[in-house]
Amino acid sequence: MFDFTTLAQFLVAGLAMGSVYAFVALSFALLYNAVGILNFCVGEFVMVPGFIVAILLNSLHMPFLQAYLITIGVMLVFGAIFHRTIYHPLRGRPFLSVLVSTIGASLFLKNTALLAFGADPRVTPGIVAQKSVGLFGVFVAPQYLVILATLLVLVVFQYVVFEKTLLGKKMQAAAQDRDMARLLGIPVDKIILITFIYSAVLGGIAGILLAPVFYVTSDMGFRIALKAFASSIVGGLGSIPGAIVGGLFIGVVELFCAAYISATYKDVFAFIILIAVLLLRPQGFFGEKVAEKA
Amino acid sequence: MKPVLEIQGLTKQFGGLVAVDNVDLNIQKGEIRALIGPNGSGKTTVLNLVSGVYEPTKGSILFKGQSVFNKRPHLLVREGMKRTFQSARLFRELSVLQNVMVGLHGQTKGGLFGIVFSLPGAKGEERMICDKAAEVLEFVGLLGQANTLAKNLPYGQQRLLEIARGLISQPDLLLLDEPAAGMNPSETFELVTLLGKIRDRGITIFLIEHDMNLVMEISDFITVLNFGRKIAEGSPGEVQNNEEVIEAYLGKRARYA
Amino acid sequence: MSLKKLSVKISFYLAMAIVLASLPSLIRSNYWIGTVNLAIIYSIAVLGLNIILGLTGQLNIAQAAFWGIGAYTAALLNTRLGWPFWATFLVAPPTAAAFGVILGFPTLKLSGRYLALATLGFGIIISLIAHNWKEFTGGVDGIPGITSPVLGPLKFSTNASFYYLALVCLILLALAQIKIKNSRMGRAFQAIKDNELAAELSGVNTFKYRVIAFALCSAYGGMAGQLFAHGTKYVSAETFFVDMSILFICMLMIGGAGSIAGSIIGASLLTFIPEWLRFLQGPWAMAIFGLAIIIIMIFMPGGLVGLASFIGSKIAMHLRRSIQAGTGRTTSRDVGVSKGTE
Repeated sequence: MFDFTTLAQFLVAGLAMGSVYAFVALSFALLYNAVGILNFCVGEFVMVPGFIVAILLNSLHMPFLQAYLITIGVMLVFGAIFHRTIYHPLRGRPFLSVLVSTIGASLFLKNTALLAFGADPRVTPGIVAQKSVGLFGVFVAPQYLVILATLLVLVVFQYVVFEKTLLGKKMQAAAQDRDMARLLGIPVDKIILITFIYSAVLGGIAGILLAPVFYVTSDMGFRIALKAFASSIVGGLGSIPGAIVGGLFIGVVELFCAAYISATYKDVFAFIILIAVLLLRPQGFFGEKVAEKA
Repeated sequence: MKPVLEIQGLTKQFGGLVAVDNVDLNIQKGEIRALIGPNGSGKTTVLNLVSGVYEPTKGSILFKGQSVFNKRPHLLVREGMKRTFQSARLFRELSVLQNVMVGLHGQTKGGLFGIVFSLPGAKGEERMICDKAAEVLEFVGLLGQANTLAKNLPYGQQRLLEIARGLISQPDLLLLDEPAAGMNPSETFELVTLLGKIRDRGITIFLIEHDMNLVMEISDFITVLNFGRKIAEGSPGEVQNNEEVIEAYLGKRARYA
Repeated sequence: MSLKKLSVKISFYLAMAIVLASLPSLIRSNYWIGTVNLAIIYSIAVLGLNIILGLTGQLNIAQAAFWGIGAYTAALLNTRLGWPFWATFLVAPPTAAAFGVILGFPTLKLSGRYLALATLGFGIIISLIAHNWKEFTGGVDGIPGITSPVLGPLKFSTNASFYYLALVCLILLALAQIKIKNSRMGRAFQAIKDNELAAELSGVNTFKYRVIAFALCSAYGGMAGQLFAHGTKYVSAETFFVDMSILFICMLMIGGAGSIAGSIIGASLLTFIPEWLRFLQGPWAMAIFGLAIIIIMIFMPGGLVGLASFIGSKIAMHLRRSIQAGTGRTTSRDVGVSKGTE
């Protein structure tokens, strides 16, 4: 039970799930960073593309790349609409208003999805054949490798964009000090819109990656959102690398706890970690200071 | 007579930044003390340290002979210290009258049982709070606005409301953070009168201010900070002519101008 | 208050009292009376939520957990130990309140966003325990066979009779909250909501009052759960779902957070609408509620009650203006000092 092969398999599976969590946590953390909101709808950011890609692949039998691109495209629009209808009218209001509004959006989306797509869970084929692949003598599901590879690509991409391009620097500036950024001529409202769109696209990627290994249902959003919250808090609510590290951490810990302690309570571990972190070290690994200044 | 406030060797560090550096300061009962200095000299930090919002890195603060260390701010309020804020932290959805009534919270009891069952003790206390609040509002000149929501008050009156909220508990020490900020000259003039009336009620005042006319007019003593350190202390006349103070505000060249 | 205003007020309350007292005879159907009972019980839970969210401004996404704790405490004491209604009535709310303190106390140092997530985590853990600790809670099968309330010679075994019991509880709890809101405690709550630091520096022990707010919220929730248990005579772990907590939040926000009338109106509306409009069951109702929340947050943050008072003040303003225009005089207004709101 504790031999290398099993451990390695668990580790890969945990990292893979953790990568998906990382994508969602990133989506969540970006919005928190940019406009200070807790997006309770982040799970639906994954559920909606999950259904779309499932329909495109299963019912319409589209080729993979086409389906993926259309899904991402839809999420682009979705992000913009979300920004315009949920966030934009409420900017400047206390964060509780936006939070409740995202709760409303989540309710709306999840029930609309149930009405539109029905209660049957969906699964999509993976972009690579699902035969186990041998890696250093360990057999892993290839989709896991796809997920990990995608995360790696994203991390590099994001690093390049945020640190090396002008747009990325503007986004960071707008997130750190909105008023100052405005004074410097940065089009903050546009940047916020872009952040929402990027956040939705990240959800889309998570949905696409998840669909082959996880059942897509209309109520999956909630559990995913919780993992996103836990990952962000563990990594540190204000921190982008924290979201990624937090996601991977939760993914791995959750899997190992499920394997060695109890599988029925699998979801509990993430929440226990969430509460423990909130009570003991609310700023997580890399996060901002939580106490208020005068 | 023991000073109302005794500050010794007070130091506050935020990471690498030393906001307050080894400050000594004593305020006697009935005094009006002003704390001045250029922006960023640590004045608000001192106020936050005295009122229990921050913990000092080093040094001691004694209020009426007792250390304020490790006491949560509401306890200090109960012991007779009140403060206002630079940015008028009002309870926006409460009325002017209700805002002032909250100021007496630390001096009253009113438990759940008495409230829910309308016991005579609770009702009597409520009436007392209401009457006292009305009296304080009249004192600062806001009684006509008693039922206005705090968020609907013009800015100058909001600052007055904050002071009223501080006054209602008849504190031994009233800390004012830039009370004249944003006020026009006539409002500032009324503020000077009001501060005098407050002092006449036996309340010691410790204020931070940038408006030099106000400071010179009303203060008994002035302490000057620069970069967190005390650079001068004395009567308004002495401080006005102190070279280091002039230099701190206007730069080295002004000193020799 | 002028005699005219007083007599208007009295006649209004009298009319309300008559309607409420005769409601079960007006509504013949047992099913609909049952729905009214449900609305009353939900109102109690939402009233509790109003204390922590509406008055004190802290988001609590765990109200269903306290409802469930109240319900299960009653169910277990009743079915396992044979305790009657009045006994569980005395024990269930304090038990729920104890859990409220367990949630409220360690989270004191957390500010808004973190607190919201902590309550969410708490609610989920309680929900998962309830679902999985089958020996204790019966899991999804739940605990059947709870006895009807019996108080001396009065038996409340029918929906109609239970209605009066629940109604009296609601009225007393609503009155209690009105008193709290207009008291020193209510001001302390509102001060914490508007500006926690200023509240602390005005002498309010913000830690203590946040815990009190949680305890009151969970006590109300627990009482609602206890009434639910004895009313429906059956509880199951489904009552703990976070969906229920979110529904309570919807009820409060739509009715009007901060308002006692709003809590009751919101709870009633969201109980009845899915029933009246049969096709609006399940996902349709929830989708519409979700949309309603968004619209309300954007356009009427005070909920329906806020909207009503806005319209009311606009009407009053127009009336006053036309009176002024008509008589050429300004109307006299009371400059009396009023302490309370609502």
